[in-house]
Amino acid sequence: MACMNCPTLAATLDMLAILCRASFDLSAIVVGQAGVASDSGVLAARLLMALTLAFHIVFASLGVGLPVLLLLAEWRYLRSRDELWKTLARRWSKAFAVLFAVGAVSGTVLSFELGMLWPEFVRRYGSVIGLPFTLEAFAFFLEAIFAGIYFYGWDRLRPWAHWWSGVPIALGGVASAWFVVAANAWMNVPQGFRVENGVVADADPIAAMLNPATGAQTVHMIVAAYLVTGFLVASYYALSRLRGKATAYGRRAMGLGLVLGCVLAPVQVGVGHWMAQVVARTQPVKLAAMEGQFQTQAGAPLRLGGVPDAEARVTRYAVEIPGGLSWLAYADTDAVVRGLDEFPRQDTPPVLIVHVSFQVMVLVGMFLVALAGWGLVPRAWRRAARTSRAWLWVVAAAGPLSVLGLEAGWIVTEVGRQPWIVQGHMRTAAAATGAPGVGWVLAAAAAIYAILAVGTIVVLRRLAAAPLAKDASDVP
Amino acid sequence: MSPEDVVLAILTASLVLYAVFGGADFGAGIWEFATALPGRERERRMLHRAIQPVWEANHVWLIFALVLLLTAFPAAFAAVCRALWAPLLLGLTGIVFRGAGFVLRPTTPSQRDSTDRPKGAHEPSAWEKLFALGSTAAPFFLGASVGAVASGKLPCGQDGQFYGNFVTGWITPLSFFTGVFTLSACAFVSAVFLTREAAMKTAAAEKHGDAPVDLRGDPLVRVWRRRALLTGHWAGSLAVAGLVLVAAESPPLWRGLLSRSWPLVLLSAGSAWLSLWATWKRRFTLASFGAIVAVGAIVCGWVAGQYPALVPPAITVVSAKAPDSVLWLVVWIAGAGATVLAPSLALLLWLFKAERRD
Repeated sequence: MACMNCPTLAATLDMLAILCRASFDLSAIVVGQAGVASDSGVLAARLLMALTLAFHIVFASLGVGLPVLLLLAEWRYLRSRDELWKTLARRWSKAFAVLFAVGAVSGTVLSFELGMLWPEFVRRYGSVIGLPFTLEAFAFFLEAIFAGIYFYGWDRLRPWAHWWSGVPIALGGVASAWFVVAANAWMNVPQGFRVENGVVADADPIAAMLNPATGAQTVHMIVAAYLVTGFLVASYYALSRLRGKATAYGRRAMGLGLVLGCVLAPVQVGVGHWMAQVVARTQPVKLAAMEGQFQTQAGAPLRLGGVPDAEARVTRYAVEIPGGLSWLAYADTDAVVRGLDEFPRQDTPPVLIVHVSFQVMVLVGMFLVALAGWGLVPRAWRRAARTSRAWLWVVAAAGPLSVLGLEAGWIVTEVGRQPWIVQGHMRTAAAATGAPGVGWVLAAAAAIYAILAVGTIVVLRRLAAAPLAKDASDVP
Repeated sequence: MSPEDVVLAILTASLVLYAVFGGADFGAGIWEFATALPGRERERRMLHRAIQPVWEANHVWLIFALVLLLTAFPAAFAAVCRALWAPLLLGLTGIVFRGAGFVLRPTTPSQRDSTDRPKGAHEPSAWEKLFALGSTAAPFFLGASVGAVASGKLPCGQDGQFYGNFVTGWITPLSFFTGVFTLSACAFVSAVFLTREAAMKTAAAEKHGDAPVDLRGDPLVRVWRRRALLTGHWAGSLAVAGLVLVAAESPPLWRGLLSRSWPLVLLSAGSAWLSLWATWKRRFTLASFGAIVAVGAIVCGWVAGQYPALVPPAITVVSAKAPDSVLWLVVWIAGAGATVLAPSLALLLWLFKAERRD
């Protein structure tokens, strides 16, 4: 097997060994003297950032998507005065209150980590890229204020006023996502400053925020958030129907989730294509890693699957579509695609992780599009939803798979930018904190987040198990 | 006025609002400890209801202050993140467990109490314990972080580097004291707010034509009023001790207090006294205002007292500031944002915290 002597795996194991040896070293913590980050410290900081981001992004996505579903459900109640829609909206608003809070605390952790794990990044570029973070704070403020009003105002506001109090949550969620992802886009395609004798000068935060990657990246993420929300919701109710709970409530809930997901899944294909073209133009190294393209090549093939071998500089076992990559990236089957070998080895990302994650994301996307194609044919959808267990299983799988696609996509973005924290300007290692014991913090964070995840699932299940009738009057 | 001073004023304002409103929410969590005793079910329900709709919004003031520091004073942010590595991590853990503990706690009595317990006795669930512990840890360590800065001895360079010990460098008598004082102030403000809400509920019940209720006799008002008076006196005595400690430990800050911040110190003392007097006289809205001003004046007094230093001794407002164009942009955005935020916040508070006739 290729994996047994896979050099990347070996390198990863080496890194883990270093991590265990040095970063967990108690004596370093007791003495506590530190200045420059060690290799293991940098790795621990990266893993900690990855862990907290991977956790938060699920809640953040639901924070963007769920208000839309809530507004849809409540809107249908207000138009039809069908109490079942109201019950649905009220029950979801309780679940959303829990998810929103966990998302808020995990987001707080991230805003601290930005400075605590990457102090040199913040010091050097804080004035250039602080603007979208400041704007995000405003957007999140709006969300938090109206979340309080929406969650606990069911009996204090008139029906339509209550519906309108949910609108700023939905808008604030989209705005938050846009600002934060714009900041991330800037790390990929930095602009809006000059470097003069090693000092950042002429900071232009607006130009930094509106960099060439912002458009595609923000839209890609916002659509992803809606997809994940729609499919997670649909997935839950598909599972409960598979367990024999066939209720009108469950059918409506699943339908609402499916509508959101199925409408946007094909859209995401177009947005993803736009994103890839931006990457091709602005981050050719990342594109090469995504595609496992080692040599610069005219008429480069599109590789489906495959295992890149960073030592032998080839990608094996891939199904190749001739000229496919050139066509997708530059709309010309003969276009030249730059390979990894064109760049210095110390400036290229770990190709195996990036390529495999990219393949996973694309595969998930294709699965969701196929599902949407089936689901959007109204008659077939309706009949299938009633009769076919296979359909329910497909929908049940879509939720967890969409989360997998989301995480894989972020791995492509973040690992694909390595070894840079700010592409071409600052290396990740140069930005990291010199504080000791980051490995211990990582271990503690993993334990805490596991507890949070379990606690959240337990509470959501408990909310779902409460009898429907209770919610007609109950205040959340 | 130079742009860095304007941004510093905005930053201070958000710190004040976090200290008062975020602090009151933490305080409610601290009081959760006292409600574990038998017969305190109503108190606990009340304090949960009180913070439920507002705690998320109140929490955002912290994030707001953080991103302002990041954008406008990046070197100070880097220095603080390095020098306060340990207490910020611990405070953050408290923030996580406070929020998660609050929303993940069991919310219906049937899930909470087993039937074989004596009536009214309450065995807190694990999440409730974490809520109370987190609510205590967060203000202690955040307060201690402020105290470490106020000590004026953090060995930071103007470039945001930190040359001290990452684990123990923040520990000074003043930082420890400030942690304890913050806890006390949170408990006090929270008790005053809760007294007011208990009295409002009682008054509303009376208006609805239920049996006439005597404010003096209402057990909830009585218990919170007693706690407000008790913690008020305690926090007030600590504040006086704090002045002595500042004089002994941080002479530059002490000189700043004497030369610049003395009106704020007097304002804080006067408002605290007013708040206690009003609580005693059962004028609880006035007492709440007094408590807000007392805490706010302390935060302002500290910032003004160490001005122009941000992270004394090395880092000042000028040495850490972003370019003027960026600072003005921040000022404009904060102004524009306030026109949306202020009415939204007012709506939230009016819906859940105002004395209303319904």
